[in-house]
Amino acid sequence: MKNGLKLFLGVFATLALSWVGLLLTAHQQIGSLSQFKDPVDETLYPQPLSGLAVQGSMVYQDLGCVSCHTQQVRRDGFGADLGRKWGQRGSYARDYIRDSVVLIGQSRLGPDLRNAGNLDLHPYADADYFYRLLYAPQSVAPGTNMPAHAFLFEVHALAGRQPSAYAIKVPGKFGPGAGYEVVPTNRAQSLVAYLQSLKDSYDYPVERSRNASAEKPKEGGH
Amino acid sequence: MNSPDQPVRTEQMQVDASAKWPGLALFGSALFWLLLGGTLQLIAAIQLHTPTFLAECAWFTYGRLTPAAQNALVYGWGINAALGFGLWLMARLSATTLRHGGWLLVAIKFWNTGVALGVLGILGGYSTSFELLEMPRFVTLILLVSYAMIGVWAVTTFSIRNTENVFASQWYLFGAAFWFPWLYAIAQLMLLKAPVRGVLQPVVNAWFVHGLYGLWFVPVALAAAYYFLPKILGKPIANYYLAPLAFWWLVIVTALAGGSRLIGAPVPVWIPTLGTVANFLLVVPVVIIGLNLFGTFSGRYSALSGSVTLRFILLSAIAFIFASILNLAFSLRGFVEIAQFTLLSELRDWVVLYACFSSAMFGAAYFILPRLTSGAWRFPTLVKMHLGATLVGVALLTVALGVGGWQQGHLLGSSPVAFGEITQAMTFWFTLRTAGFAVLLFGHLAFVINFVGLLCPLCTCCKKATADVGQGSSAEGHA
Repeated sequence: MKNGLKLFLGVFATLALSWVGLLLTAHQQIGSLSQFKDPVDETLYPQPLSGLAVQGSMVYQDLGCVSCHTQQVRRDGFGADLGRKWGQRGSYARDYIRDSVVLIGQSRLGPDLRNAGNLDLHPYADADYFYRLLYAPQSVAPGTNMPAHAFLFEVHALAGRQPSAYAIKVPGKFGPGAGYEVVPTNRAQSLVAYLQSLKDSYDYPVERSRNASAEKPKEGGH
Repeated sequence: MNSPDQPVRTEQMQVDASAKWPGLALFGSALFWLLLGGTLQLIAAIQLHTPTFLAECAWFTYGRLTPAAQNALVYGWGINAALGFGLWLMARLSATTLRHGGWLLVAIKFWNTGVALGVLGILGGYSTSFELLEMPRFVTLILLVSYAMIGVWAVTTFSIRNTENVFASQWYLFGAAFWFPWLYAIAQLMLLKAPVRGVLQPVVNAWFVHGLYGLWFVPVALAAAYYFLPKILGKPIANYYLAPLAFWWLVIVTALAGGSRLIGAPVPVWIPTLGTVANFLLVVPVVIIGLNLFGTFSGRYSALSGSVTLRFILLSAIAFIFASILNLAFSLRGFVEIAQFTLLSELRDWVVLYACFSSAMFGAAYFILPRLTSGAWRFPTLVKMHLGATLVGVALLTVALGVGGWQQGHLLGSSPVAFGEITQAMTFWFTLRTAGFAVLLFGHLAFVINFVGLLCPLCTCCKKATADVGQGSSAEGHA
């Protein structure tokens, strides 16, 4: 190789080939995936997130939750995701079109969160649970190494006032003590709204039939 | 020195002199980021087994520290060091001086300002959370423009070369100089400026991450190996006629392999399949490169004792083979089912960034920096400490991430084991991981002290005293 131009063209072609072959082709195939209208209840799925949950997804990004949490459920027979109650089915590409920023994650230092707000799987996971988890992780998940996110909360002295309606209940030894209350900030509220919105409970007929051979037949999404 | 070598020697000294200030600026900033990134990485590592450590402050929460450390190491250390080494080598191999270095210094300032703003932005809560693209979007343009102003030097230096032949290191450097900005610009465009929808975002992200490791860090490390082996051993690359084949095969296939990071992910199944096929095709160029590098080494391992550069390059070459094996393993479904999302997937990228690329840069720095400053390393003990710390740290981390990740994967894969129990079982490996990072940071510190000693012109008598020690390194290569 002595010719600089040939080298340049080869270098260019290398990346162009992979861009066209991988990214453009994939875009062509699933770039315009649309919501699915259920013929029975005439609703579009996946349903869009609430405004508060969208704000919460930004908090999720800024705190870097994706460093430890995935948001992708692997299908039955590939890992123990379903056994761990991280989902009722493997995730589909269509599940993600409601998210403006898609963070499927690369690390499971913490559990998968794709269905964190799915009460069928985790009946205990109400707003209070998430607040306690964020404020003092050990209080709801003993043995965890999740860092406390106390900076998402304000601790007020009660000083005889009536407690805030939003104050969360923190079990004794994890709380700030008597005479104080723990109140979530707006950021904590939106983050929890986002976590509660995380559920892929609807099963799309097209995807289900396409994956039928790989998956054991499951009872419907609901 | 024989007399026919004399003109070559003068020419090399002119090249070194022209690369002095850009080279020192790039290596100096790289070392700053190496220390800072290593410190952030160490704090994050401690938090995995001691979650209360620095947890009260949002700036130091684990989720921000980890990407901040990784970005400091990739964009601060990695790209600065690669450019410092790459520009120097390009000038040397093209037998031409690095012209108008003053402009380079301006661009280097801008690049490092961009990285600093980016790392602060991540810590301050402006992260985008896309892997290796976490820096807030306002730094994108600063980074792209300043990179272009630095990268163009590699290309122009190449195009005014005074040599007939183009050597393997030049192909790799020339390619890398173009691939990084293209990958970065396309990823920024498709993820942040005009985001693609749904799971295409992870596809773009995986393509970028795989490209950054495979088409930037690996080529630069290989450029170092292809250059320093024949230079220091004084013999040509073995089976060199196969090297062009390996180059094109390696880069074309690596560019297509990004989908292999998405096995089991909710993407069309041809994407991971294409990546898997590509990874299997990589066996051929890896074998050729192995023949090139280890064939050159063979029979000359005794030369290792005389050259610290050679020892770092050997480590880098071994790590390249190991990284390729890991990459292949991550294409096997049975392995991925267990190893995915564990410390093992961290190991896969860390081996490329640290054991392969960073070792090569350390080796290069021990060769280049004394030539740029026309001095000698002042503290030979610190050189030994750096090499020792690198070897120990790499071994510790390989065990911690490899064995620990394997156990983590098995625990994750058996659903009766509660998640808290996995974390408890991993505490030992997390602690070992911290120890590994601490040892590496110690080595970096030794290196930085030596670097400062090299720059500091305080006492010329010290230089004389250590001239004998420096002899070993300066006698290394007048090929």
